[in-house]
Amino acid sequence: MAKATTTARRAGKKGAEIIGLGKELCEKMMVDLEKAKRPILQATKCSLDNANYSPTVGYLTPGNKKVSSELNVSSVKKITRAIFMLELLLRNVEIQTINTKRELYYVAKGYVKHDPKLKALDFGDQDESDSVIDFICEMMEAYREELNCVADDRGGQTYSKNLVVVETESDGNVATIDLGSLGTAPFQPKNRPQNLELKTTGKLDFCIVIESQGTANTLVANGFTKRNNCIVIGSGGVPSNAVRAWLRRIQDQLGIPLYFFGDLDAYTIQNIYRTLKAGSAASLIRNSEFCAPEVRFLGVLPDDIKKYDLVDYAVREADIGEARALKKAKDAISNDPFFKDKKNKELKEILDWLVKNKRRCEQQAYISVDPRDPLCMEKILIDKIKKKDFI
Amino acid sequence: MARPKSTSTSAAAKAAEGDSDYLQKVKKSAKTITTSSTAEYFSKNLQQVGFSSPVKAVLTTLKEAVDNSLDACEDAGILPELSLIIHRLGPGTLKNTDNIRIKVEDNGPGIEADDIPKVFGEYLASSKFGRGRCSRGQQGIGISAATTWAMQTTARGAKVITKQKSQRKAVSCIIDMDLKNNKGIVRDKTMIEWKEPHGTVVEFTLDGRIQLNGEGGLLTYIRGTILLNPHMTLHYDITDHPKTSVERVTNTVPLIPEATEPHPHTMKLGEFISHARLFGRMKTRDWLKRGFSRINDRAIADIQKDKDKSKRIEDKTLDAFIDTIADDNFKAVYAAIQHATLLPPATNTVMAVGEDGLALSIRRLGDVDYFAVLTRKPAICDFKPVQIEVAIARLKERTGEDTDSPVQVLRFANRVPLQFDKASCAIVKSLTSVQWRSYGLRQPKDSLPLGPYIVAVSVVSPFIKFKNASKETIDASDELVEELRRALMQAGQRLSRYLKRENKADVLEQRVQHMEQFGPVLIETLARILEAPDERKQRATEGLSKILERDTKGLKKDLKDAEGRLSSYLEQKKQRLSGFFKTIEAEEEEAERKLKAGDDDEDTIDAEAEEVESKPAPAKKAKKGKKSKAAAAPAPAPAKKAAPAKNAPPAKKAKAKKKK
Repeated sequence: MAKATTTARRAGKKGAEIIGLGKELCEKMMVDLEKAKRPILQATKCSLDNANYSPTVGYLTPGNKKVSSELNVSSVKKITRAIFMLELLLRNVEIQTINTKRELYYVAKGYVKHDPKLKALDFGDQDESDSVIDFICEMMEAYREELNCVADDRGGQTYSKNLVVVETESDGNVATIDLGSLGTAPFQPKNRPQNLELKTTGKLDFCIVIESQGTANTLVANGFTKRNNCIVIGSGGVPSNAVRAWLRRIQDQLGIPLYFFGDLDAYTIQNIYRTLKAGSAASLIRNSEFCAPEVRFLGVLPDDIKKYDLVDYAVREADIGEARALKKAKDAISNDPFFKDKKNKELKEILDWLVKNKRRCEQQAYISVDPRDPLCMEKILIDKIKKKDFI
Repeated sequence: MARPKSTSTSAAAKAAEGDSDYLQKVKKSAKTITTSSTAEYFSKNLQQVGFSSPVKAVLTTLKEAVDNSLDACEDAGILPELSLIIHRLGPGTLKNTDNIRIKVEDNGPGIEADDIPKVFGEYLASSKFGRGRCSRGQQGIGISAATTWAMQTTARGAKVITKQKSQRKAVSCIIDMDLKNNKGIVRDKTMIEWKEPHGTVVEFTLDGRIQLNGEGGLLTYIRGTILLNPHMTLHYDITDHPKTSVERVTNTVPLIPEATEPHPHTMKLGEFISHARLFGRMKTRDWLKRGFSRINDRAIADIQKDKDKSKRIEDKTLDAFIDTIADDNFKAVYAAIQHATLLPPATNTVMAVGEDGLALSIRRLGDVDYFAVLTRKPAICDFKPVQIEVAIARLKERTGEDTDSPVQVLRFANRVPLQFDKASCAIVKSLTSVQWRSYGLRQPKDSLPLGPYIVAVSVVSPFIKFKNASKETIDASDELVEELRRALMQAGQRLSRYLKRENKADVLEQRVQHMEQFGPVLIETLARILEAPDERKQRATEGLSKILERDTKGLKKDLKDAEGRLSSYLEQKKQRLSGFFKTIEAEEEEAERKLKAGDDDEDTIDAEAEEVESKPAPAKKAKKGKKSKAAAAPAPAPAKKAAPAKNAPPAKKAKAKKKK
């Protein structure tokens, strides 16, 4: 049986190339059908059991496992939906328009509403259309942004007095944004930060990514970026594609030390920090451009609790979210290639400590060291960077 | 403008006078602090014990009377047979109420004449309070509250007729309440002829409103009582509803386990000391062993071996008499025991209906299409023994029309239906926290599952933590909710096994349709993307038809197999259940044969008894007919029928009468 697979370049696919790949895939399916053969769609398996990690590469890469869908009574719905959605995406690329996943869900619903023949394809909820879009991306080994399907610009508010961003817009216009002239307003990186060029107007010593956007704002409001030659980025929880690609851009173009400052809990280490540093299992095909392997974990470290007498508390196992995070951390210790690698031994030790002691400490606890000193957190962070007290 | 001096002086005098009045009032009110009786308190706070609305008043009165009857029958080892009459007599004295007569008759052991005013006219007079048994009633509040409500709304107390086995005549009287002294007052006491060998009739006339269905409905309550009491025969006659009789499906009176001694970890210091006072003169060591469960010589030896000396009990305290120990020493003993690791309380004090009983009883609720029942092993929650039972039934009558309505939840605590304030109940909280989707039921987020199902959940424990005195809601502690969740999930798994079998046939049929629906759309879309000519489209369509033909051929075979498996599964279940019915029928036939043999020995049979005996015959016949029909269906039809309930007592009663 024939296989309708693609072997695309990993990055930088242009519109025409994407359209070519899509049509190639459709052509193979059509030929198979004409010969009464069952077409097979194959995609890279994007899950932890197909993830490899090498410290020299620095991020999670896909293994050899593939997910195949052969046309039969069970898969005909999925395949037809995928081809239907592919048509919408290819048209978007062709006419150079973009849509979010939510918008594509409604575009698809609109077609179904106006054509009774398509009724069977109707998506019950957005999850169904989202999974079809993900399947197309995995099949074509393309980022969803390359298929003009963009995500919300969530997280990544960036502050610096010495950074200039040069953006080339789709119509060729060039916009120059001097972050030092924005006052207290942040710069928000877009979904495709790969289009951005970075320049400096002065010395930049480091870049710090802060888990809580609120804490990042507090630091900036207290003059952190005025006193230090640095870039401050608020991650806003799990870093979005934009934040991950933006930090990668900073790593590649500026070559300054990168630090991550977040809570000391299983969720932060295993999910937020790991995703920022080595990408995620769900996006194996895009990790090369959507993570920053040079980023270091500045804190909160387990030793900091004693050192600064921080307020910590027990993990509430009755809380479903916290219990799940703890369970995922246990899984990560034994199954995640990132934590299994010797290079990340110290991070694994933190996870072990968290699982064993069932304690957690939030980044805001630094403020409790001296509540009357608004610069208390800044002093600790700078002190830790100076003393190289990070992992 | 300056005021005349005399005016200002008189104002000051008035103010001073006012202050002194105020002080006098305060002093006076301080002097008038009085003590009220329990009855006075409850009479002013009847809403706390289930009389907060006319609808609840009727339901609570019925519920309390039925609970007492069932408890009394079970305590005496009698198979309960209850008759309920709830009639609307006319308009009530309160706004928007009716005058209602509620009469509950049982075949229980009867009540001692001296105890009648205590039972119906005195608060907190109970034979069950604090005994740590799984009885329905606990505190001795409910039926007295019903008498209070009747007196408050109609100025008439409870009418009681009761007869014990040893009595020739029955006692008939009216019980009023002396609220001031929390005492029952007996009026119009007479001895009357009563055909029953023993039993009690209690009748209330009160203002209220009859609601048949819904959360607070009388039929909902009756339905729940029927489900959890498979050994009960019930006749009921309610205004606007046909007279109905529901026969028992098991002939075994549940044996209520005796209470064990309390576990020391369930006690507070004050209770601990009071507990000691009950034992008179006894050494502390003996008291600990005899007065508590899970404390024996070994447990005491373990306490004395504790590395921390302060956690041990002093030897001289252990050997001292408990009535001579100072409170401080008690505190030390209490602390040492609380610190010690003891076995959890025994679980043999709880009782459950059992899966077989539930399986038989659930079909008395209506035309049940499929059901799953589950009885968990007794467990310890919050240091108290608890047993959970779950029954899930799909009703044929609700299938199709009510698929978008939430399931009907029947909650029970010690076999008593709970009908109000369900949102904060542990049972509902655990029901909504289970992911029913994985068991094949539809469920909106954090809500009850949807569909034509009845989900009955019963919690049995000698120490159920209720949220209020009216016992409408079980407190949702984490441990109890978790235990309930486990029971529900297990029952869900049983249900899903059936639903999966049932769904498989549907799924296979859908898949055959899938190819026909999606195939043409796939080719159309591919052709559009590739801008392919019609000839290619035609060739692809033909190729797809060949694939489709191969698939549907295989699928149709699978479909046939799946249907065959489903019907054989239902057949197996049906055969298993028909086994129970055969046993019951055999028992009943045996009883009937014995009865007939006894009749032949009797020389004199009075005409009344003969008449009474002749009546149940058609009912019995009808019952048998139902049962044989029931055994032939996957989930047989209920043994429920309209019958002249009170006029047709069963053969047993007739025999007793004859002997008399």
